[in-house]
Amino acid sequence: MFFYYLKLGAVNLKRNPIITALMVITLAVGVAAAMTTLTILRGMSGDPIPHKSDRLFYVQIDTGPVGRENPNGEPDAQMSYTDTMNLWRAAKAPRQTPLMGTSDTVSPERKDLQPFITTGLAVGADFFSMFDVPLLEGRFWSAEQDKAGSDVVVITRQMRDRLFGEGQSAVGKRLMLSQRELTIIGVLDTWSPLPKFYRLVGSNRYGSHEDYFLPIEYAVRVESGIEGQVSCTSRPDPGFQGFLQSDCTWLQYWVELAEAGDRQGFADYLVAYVNEQKKLDRLPRTVNNRLRDVNEWMVQQGVVDNDTVVATWLAFAFLAVCLVNTVGLLLAKFSARPGEIGVRRALGASRAEIFSQFLTEAGVVGLVGAALGILLTLAALAYVRQYARDIALLTEMDWLMLLTTVLISLVAALGAGLLPTWRACQVLPAAQLKSQ
Amino acid sequence: MEVRPILSTLFRNKTAPLLIAAQVALTLAIVANSLYIIRERLASAARPTGLDEPNIGWINLSPVGEVADPKTMQEVDLNTLRAIPGVRSATWANMIPLSQSGWNSGGMSLKEGDNDSGINSAHYFSPGSLVDTFGLNLIAGRDFTADDVFDHDPEQGSALPKTVIISKALAEALLPNEADLGQLVGQQLFNATEAPVTIIGIVDRLQTPWSNEGADGEQSYILPIRYLVGSFQYAIRTEPGQLDRVMKEAADQLSTLRSDRVLNSQRTFAEIRASRYANETLMAGLLIAVTLFLLLITASGIVGLSSLWVNQRRKQIGVRRALGARRIDVIRYFLVENMLITSGGVLLGLLLTLALNQVLVRQMEVPRLPAEYVGFGMVIMWLLGVASVLGPALRAARVPPAVATRTV
Repeated sequence: MFFYYLKLGAVNLKRNPIITALMVITLAVGVAAAMTTLTILRGMSGDPIPHKSDRLFYVQIDTGPVGRENPNGEPDAQMSYTDTMNLWRAAKAPRQTPLMGTSDTVSPERKDLQPFITTGLAVGADFFSMFDVPLLEGRFWSAEQDKAGSDVVVITRQMRDRLFGEGQSAVGKRLMLSQRELTIIGVLDTWSPLPKFYRLVGSNRYGSHEDYFLPIEYAVRVESGIEGQVSCTSRPDPGFQGFLQSDCTWLQYWVELAEAGDRQGFADYLVAYVNEQKKLDRLPRTVNNRLRDVNEWMVQQGVVDNDTVVATWLAFAFLAVCLVNTVGLLLAKFSARPGEIGVRRALGASRAEIFSQFLTEAGVVGLVGAALGILLTLAALAYVRQYARDIALLTEMDWLMLLTTVLISLVAALGAGLLPTWRACQVLPAAQLKSQ
Repeated sequence: MEVRPILSTLFRNKTAPLLIAAQVALTLAIVANSLYIIRERLASAARPTGLDEPNIGWINLSPVGEVADPKTMQEVDLNTLRAIPGVRSATWANMIPLSQSGWNSGGMSLKEGDNDSGINSAHYFSPGSLVDTFGLNLIAGRDFTADDVFDHDPEQGSALPKTVIISKALAEALLPNEADLGQLVGQQLFNATEAPVTIIGIVDRLQTPWSNEGADGEQSYILPIRYLVGSFQYAIRTEPGQLDRVMKEAADQLSTLRSDRVLNSQRTFAEIRASRYANETLMAGLLIAVTLFLLLITASGIVGLSSLWVNQRRKQIGVRRALGARRIDVIRYFLVENMLITSGGVLLGLLLTLALNQVLVRQMEVPRLPAEYVGFGMVIMWLLGVASVLGPALRAARVPPAVATRTV
């Protein structure tokens, strides 16, 4: 019977074409609005590294002077060179890495390519294993190269394709960065987490990823150009050395602990470290450290912006209006057919039969609405992609979202169909037959 | 008036009117709140920077390696730029409004030793005249001359300028509740650099690179500094209508001037503005689309259900007409009925609007909805209701009295 009802439902779409079209469009638009905002919200707020997000911690140590504290009591989002390197060299966690944004001109060896500017990241060797960075060929640099600041570099697949041609091996070749020669030792496979949770400060969170990675000791040794945010509370001494010794904050620092429970232990170590430094006349403020895991850090940095949340709220309110509208239209559609119901009931159909027939019909409307809704969602996401480049990469719709869309439309249509269907079941056959 | 019979009909058959009222209520809640957010966003994106925006471009080159003599290179570049026909003014600048990254200083004060005034300011500097090149409006004092400019080499330590031009917003922050800001000219400003600098001029408006909401987004000062590093970033101001051609020529000429640099970016100010406010524009666009669709859907729902009622009541309408009701009476019946339902919805919607706004205020720091937006939304809903029911009502009026005599 179900398939017969399904067929009936499809045939009945053609009945009252205007009301049916209105219903389908209403449902599709409502579902599309909700799904578009939900896709973006999910892209922004999803856990970027679920299996270890509770073990990766972002460290902050307050270097500022007494008397000019932030009103909200937060230390600066980044750390000074001195503290970062002290913590990194002490290596008290199983894995740890500093992060420094760099920017360089690349001079390709191929004569047909112009020099171009690109951004990179100077990190410790642990960076790759901490953030699960996949390797396509070659290797990452070793702990010794890390300490020595060797002139080695790991580049992305895109950079390799651009410089040496698609599929060509780059390992062992030279890379000229701002006229400094480095040896390429590895090529990353595609790795583009969004938002760029590993570098939320001083970089476009939804923008392009860094093109090359080099040892931070090397970047500091050659006084590489800094790309990112630098804040100073007092003017540093002249030159790069003066800058390194200052309390300017410009580095980011991550640690990975063996398990989430080690957090308190590491926090205690940080307090001990700050107290050590106070003896050297540094860090004048009262101890004001932060140790946040990936998700806490993303919330603190406001990764999901208020606009997106507001838009999602409004979109779901919009879906609610569309549902109420669909209820009204279904009511209109079903109540135009009391005669048909009367005849079926008189011929022996139970209320349950009528109920399932009309609910199936509502479901068919929901399915057609879902199909149109998916098309509209894709169109809306394409519009968003075109308009806001920095959230462009978040607007990929995956299978899960596709399934959710179909499910929401179906549930919405069935939910909207309940009241009209129940009303249709109340039709008294005798009254209908009499009035014919 | 025939309100009582209409009401009693409505109470007899509650479902459909309740649905319409609920829809009107939800629509009102969303429309009023979105209209306000749309207006906020568009107003925020339309704030002026103080610059002669249509005629300004920003071009940026980076060196491939170390730069031996940045001073000469900058001078050659600027002479090249100024020689392009249509260029009114060009200068090196450390940053430009709305670019979202740049220099910032805290603790601006007129008193020595006062480091925690809480007044922040954008820290512009240039060896030329930003007043000329940005097209700023000088409201007091004078612009810099060549004598004011100091060379600064970050590798060698600081040569400190002695003079500064501040924006009106910064002047107001330094001297709150003071009408005569001109008295600041000649006074010393502390914490812009290590040594105090003398204020020599005030410009009407100069937004910061971040253009935050409120006065904070316009607190800026300009120092006369020639920055001797290998960064080549130039602001260009052209004669009206020449910008696109000049930008192209500027990029070509600067690129061919030397081979050891890469053209990083060349943007007109309109592009900088569009990229700064892309999210605001997008949000407003999406909300406008949602609002329009919503009104359309609600209207279609009212039309749909009203048509249904007209069809169901053909016989009653015929009877009323036969008993002497005029067409206008039939139309009035449907209009009044619709007004009653819409008003019920609007009253319910008022509560919903405030509730939705409460959620938005508490969770998203959206400002509280002003009363006029609620009022405006209510008027829209009433008009929408009347407009939607008009078609079905006119159709009802065309039902001939003879219908009363047909079916049983």
